[in-house]
Amino acid sequence: MVLLENDSFLTELTRLFQKCRTSGSVVITLKKYDGRTKPVPRKGQSESFEPADNKCLLRASDGKKKISTVVSTKEVIKFQMAYSNLLRAHMDGLKKKDKKSKSKKTKATQ
Amino acid sequence: MPYYQTWEEFARAAEKLYLTDPMKVRVVLKYRHCDGNLCIKVTDNAVCLQYKTDQAQDVKKIEKLHGKLMRLMVSKETHSGAMETD
Repeated sequence: MVLLENDSFLTELTRLFQKCRTSGSVVITLKKYDGRTKPVPRKGQSESFEPADNKCLLRASDGKKKISTVVSTKEVIKFQMAYSNLLRAHMDGLKKKDKKSKSKKTKATQ
Repeated sequence: MPYYQTWEEFARAAEKLYLTDPMKVRVVLKYRHCDGNLCIKVTDNAVCLQYKTDQAQDVKKIEKLHGKLMRLMVSKETHSGAMETD
Protein backbone atom coordinates (compact mmCIF):
# COMPACT_ATOMS: atom_id res chain seq x y z
CA MET A 1 0.00 0.00 0.00
CA VAL A 2 1.47 3.27 -1.06
CA LEU A 3 0.27 6.36 0.75
CA LEU A 4 0.25 9.24 -1.69
CA GLU A 5 -0.41 12.94 -1.63
CA ASN A 6 -3.83 13.96 -2.90
CA ASP A 7 -2.59 15.16 -6.25
CA SER A 8 -0.41 12.20 -7.03
CA PHE A 9 -3.21 9.90 -5.92
CA LEU A 10 -5.43 11.36 -8.60
CA THR A 11 -2.72 10.94 -11.20
CA GLU A 12 -2.20 7.32 -10.22
CA LEU A 13 -5.93 6.71 -10.15
CA THR A 14 -6.17 7.99 -13.71
CA ARG A 15 -3.48 5.50 -14.64
CA LEU A 16 -5.42 2.69 -12.97
CA PHE A 17 -8.55 3.55 -14.93
CA GLN A 18 -6.60 3.59 -18.17
CA LYS A 19 -5.00 0.27 -17.39
CA CYS A 20 -8.35 -1.36 -16.69
CA ARG A 21 -10.06 -0.28 -19.88
CA THR A 22 -9.69 -3.60 -21.65
CA SER A 23 -9.90 -5.97 -18.72
CA GLY A 24 -10.12 -5.98 -14.96
CA SER A 25 -11.86 -3.66 -12.57
CA VAL A 26 -11.03 -0.64 -10.47
CA VAL A 27 -12.04 -0.77 -6.82
CA ILE A 28 -12.18 2.40 -4.74
CA THR A 29 -12.75 2.26 -1.01
CA LEU A 30 -13.73 5.21 1.13
CA LYS A 31 -13.56 5.18 4.89
CA LYS A 32 -13.57 7.60 7.77
CA TYR A 33 -10.09 7.85 9.25
CA ASP A 34 -9.07 9.11 12.70
CA GLY A 35 -5.32 9.01 12.20
CA ARG A 36 -4.80 5.87 14.27
CA THR A 37 -1.70 3.88 13.31
CA LYS A 38 -1.62 1.49 16.27
CA PRO A 39 -4.34 -0.88 17.45
CA VAL A 40 -6.74 0.16 20.19
CA PRO A 41 -5.09 -0.72 23.51
CA ARG A 42 -6.59 -3.38 25.72
CA LYS A 43 -8.72 -2.41 28.67
CA GLY A 44 -6.94 -0.82 31.59
CA GLN A 45 -4.05 0.43 29.54
CA SER A 46 -3.57 4.10 29.08
CA GLU A 47 -3.74 5.58 25.64
CA SER A 48 -1.95 8.69 24.59
CA PHE A 49 -3.58 8.70 21.17
CA GLU A 50 -6.28 11.23 20.47
CA PRO A 51 -8.49 10.42 17.53
CA ALA A 52 -8.91 13.19 15.01
CA ASP A 53 -12.39 13.53 13.67
CA ASN A 54 -11.91 15.10 10.34
CA LYS A 55 -10.15 12.85 7.90
CA CYS A 56 -11.04 10.23 5.41
CA LEU A 57 -9.02 7.50 3.81
CA LEU A 58 -9.34 6.69 0.15
CA ARG A 59 -7.93 3.52 -1.30
CA ALA A 60 -7.85 2.36 -4.88
CA SER A 61 -6.79 -0.90 -6.44
CA ASP A 62 -6.90 -2.83 -9.69
CA GLY A 63 -6.26 -6.12 -7.94
CA LYS A 64 -2.49 -5.79 -8.09
CA LYS A 65 -1.43 -2.26 -7.50
CA LYS A 66 -2.70 -0.49 -4.41
CA ILE A 67 -2.69 3.21 -3.73
CA SER A 68 -4.16 5.28 -0.94
CA THR A 69 -4.48 8.83 0.26
CA VAL A 70 -5.77 10.71 3.29
CA VAL A 71 -8.06 13.66 2.70
CA SER A 72 -8.55 16.22 5.45
CA THR A 73 -11.08 19.00 5.91
CA LYS A 74 -8.86 21.66 4.41
CA GLU A 75 -8.34 19.86 1.14
CA VAL A 76 -11.68 18.18 0.74
CA ILE A 77 -13.40 20.75 -1.47
CA LYS A 78 -10.54 21.08 -3.88
CA PHE A 79 -9.87 17.36 -3.93
CA GLN A 80 -13.46 16.44 -4.41
CA MET A 81 -13.89 18.62 -7.46
CA ALA A 82 -10.95 17.04 -9.18
CA TYR A 83 -11.97 13.59 -8.00
CA SER A 84 -15.57 13.87 -9.22
CA ASN A 85 -14.42 15.05 -12.61
CA LEU A 86 -12.00 12.16 -12.81
CA LEU A 87 -14.66 9.60 -11.95
CA ARG A 88 -17.16 11.00 -14.39
CA ALA A 89 -14.58 11.17 -17.13
CA HIS A 90 -13.45 7.60 -16.71
CA MET A 91 -16.69 5.81 -15.95
CA ASP A 92 -17.86 6.22 -19.49
CA GLY A 93 -18.34 2.60 -20.45
CA LEU A 94 -21.93 2.35 -19.29
CA LYS A 95 -25.08 2.30 -21.35
CA LYS A 96 -26.55 5.58 -22.41
CA LYS A 97 -30.19 6.26 -21.73
CA ASP A 98 -31.98 4.18 -24.34
CA LYS A 99 -34.82 6.63 -24.80
CA LYS A 100 -34.16 6.99 -28.49
CA SER A 101 -34.12 3.32 -29.26
CA LYS A 102 -37.31 2.85 -27.27
CA SER A 103 -39.14 5.60 -29.06
CA LYS A 104 -37.95 4.18 -32.35
CA LYS A 105 -39.26 0.78 -31.40
CA THR A 106 -42.66 2.12 -30.42
CA LYS A 107 -42.83 4.02 -33.67
CA ALA A 108 -41.97 0.94 -35.62
CA THR A 109 -44.71 -1.07 -33.98
CA GLN A 110 -47.32 1.58 -34.56
CA MET B 1 -27.30 -9.35 0.80
CA PRO B 2 -29.20 -8.72 -2.40
CA TYR B 3 -28.84 -5.69 -4.60
CA TYR B 4 -31.21 -2.80 -4.12
CA GLN B 5 -33.62 -2.33 -7.00
CA THR B 6 -34.10 1.40 -6.65
CA TRP B 7 -31.47 4.05 -6.15
CA GLU B 8 -33.55 6.14 -3.74
CA GLU B 9 -33.97 3.26 -1.33
CA PHE B 10 -30.30 2.44 -1.49
CA ALA B 11 -29.16 6.01 -0.92
CA ARG B 12 -31.41 6.39 2.09
CA ALA B 13 -30.31 3.11 3.65
CA ALA B 14 -26.64 3.87 2.98
CA GLU B 15 -26.76 7.24 4.72
CA LYS B 16 -28.63 5.77 7.64
CA LEU B 17 -26.10 2.97 8.01
CA TYR B 18 -23.23 5.42 7.88
CA LEU B 19 -24.73 7.58 10.60
CA THR B 20 -25.23 4.66 12.99
CA ASP B 21 -21.47 4.17 13.30
CA PRO B 22 -19.28 6.35 11.09
CA MET B 23 -16.00 4.74 12.15
CA LYS B 24 -17.05 1.27 11.07
CA VAL B 25 -18.57 1.95 7.71
CA ARG B 26 -16.70 1.73 4.43
CA VAL B 27 -17.89 2.58 0.96
CA VAL B 28 -16.62 0.53 -1.94
CA LEU B 29 -16.94 1.53 -5.55
CA LYS B 30 -16.23 -1.04 -8.21
CA TYR B 31 -16.04 -0.18 -11.87
CA ARG B 32 -15.57 -2.63 -14.73
CA HIS B 33 -15.03 -0.94 -18.02
CA CYS B 34 -14.94 -4.11 -20.11
CA ASP B 35 -18.35 -5.26 -18.84
CA GLY B 36 -19.69 -1.74 -18.54
CA ASN B 37 -20.97 -1.95 -15.03
CA LEU B 38 -20.58 -0.04 -11.82
CA CYS B 39 -21.32 -1.28 -8.33
CA ILE B 40 -21.42 0.56 -5.03
CA LYS B 41 -21.34 -1.17 -1.68
CA VAL B 42 -21.77 0.30 1.79
CA THR B 43 -21.01 -1.99 4.70
CA ASP B 44 -20.12 -2.05 8.38
CA ASN B 45 -19.20 -5.75 8.31
CA ALA B 46 -22.58 -6.69 9.74
CA VAL B 47 -24.95 -5.09 7.28
CA CYS B 48 -24.08 -4.85 3.63
CA LEU B 49 -25.92 -2.67 1.15
CA GLN B 50 -25.28 -2.96 -2.57
CA TYR B 51 -26.41 -1.30 -5.74
CA LYS B 52 -25.38 -2.25 -9.23
CA THR B 53 -25.96 -0.51 -12.50
CA ASP B 54 -25.02 -0.45 -16.17
CA GLN B 55 -26.68 2.87 -16.92
CA ALA B 56 -24.57 5.93 -17.60
CA GLN B 57 -27.13 8.16 -15.89
CA ASP B 58 -26.47 6.41 -12.57
CA VAL B 59 -22.78 7.38 -12.55
CA LYS B 60 -23.69 10.91 -11.57
CA LYS B 61 -25.92 9.77 -8.71
CA ILE B 62 -23.39 7.30 -7.38
CA GLU B 63 -20.57 9.78 -7.61
CA LYS B 64 -22.74 12.36 -5.84
CA LEU B 65 -23.50 10.05 -2.93
CA HIS B 66 -19.86 9.09 -2.75
CA GLY B 67 -18.90 12.73 -2.49
CA LYS B 68 -21.58 13.41 0.06
CA LEU B 69 -20.34 10.64 2.29
CA MET B 70 -16.79 11.88 1.86
CA ARG B 71 -17.81 15.33 3.02
CA LEU B 72 -19.62 13.83 5.99
CA MET B 73 -16.51 11.91 6.93
CA VAL B 74 -14.31 14.98 7.03
CA SER B 75 -16.82 17.24 8.70
CA LYS B 76 -16.14 17.50 12.41
CA GLU B 77 -19.66 17.06 13.64
CA THR B 78 -20.82 13.86 12.06
CA HIS B 79 -24.36 14.35 13.19
CA SER B 80 -24.72 17.82 11.77
CA GLY B 81 -27.62 18.86 9.65
CA ALA B 82 -25.80 17.84 6.50
CA MET B 83 -28.18 14.97 5.92
CA GLU B 84 -31.20 17.24 6.03
CA THR B 85 -30.31 18.86 2.76
CA ASP B 86 -30.95 17.19 -0.54
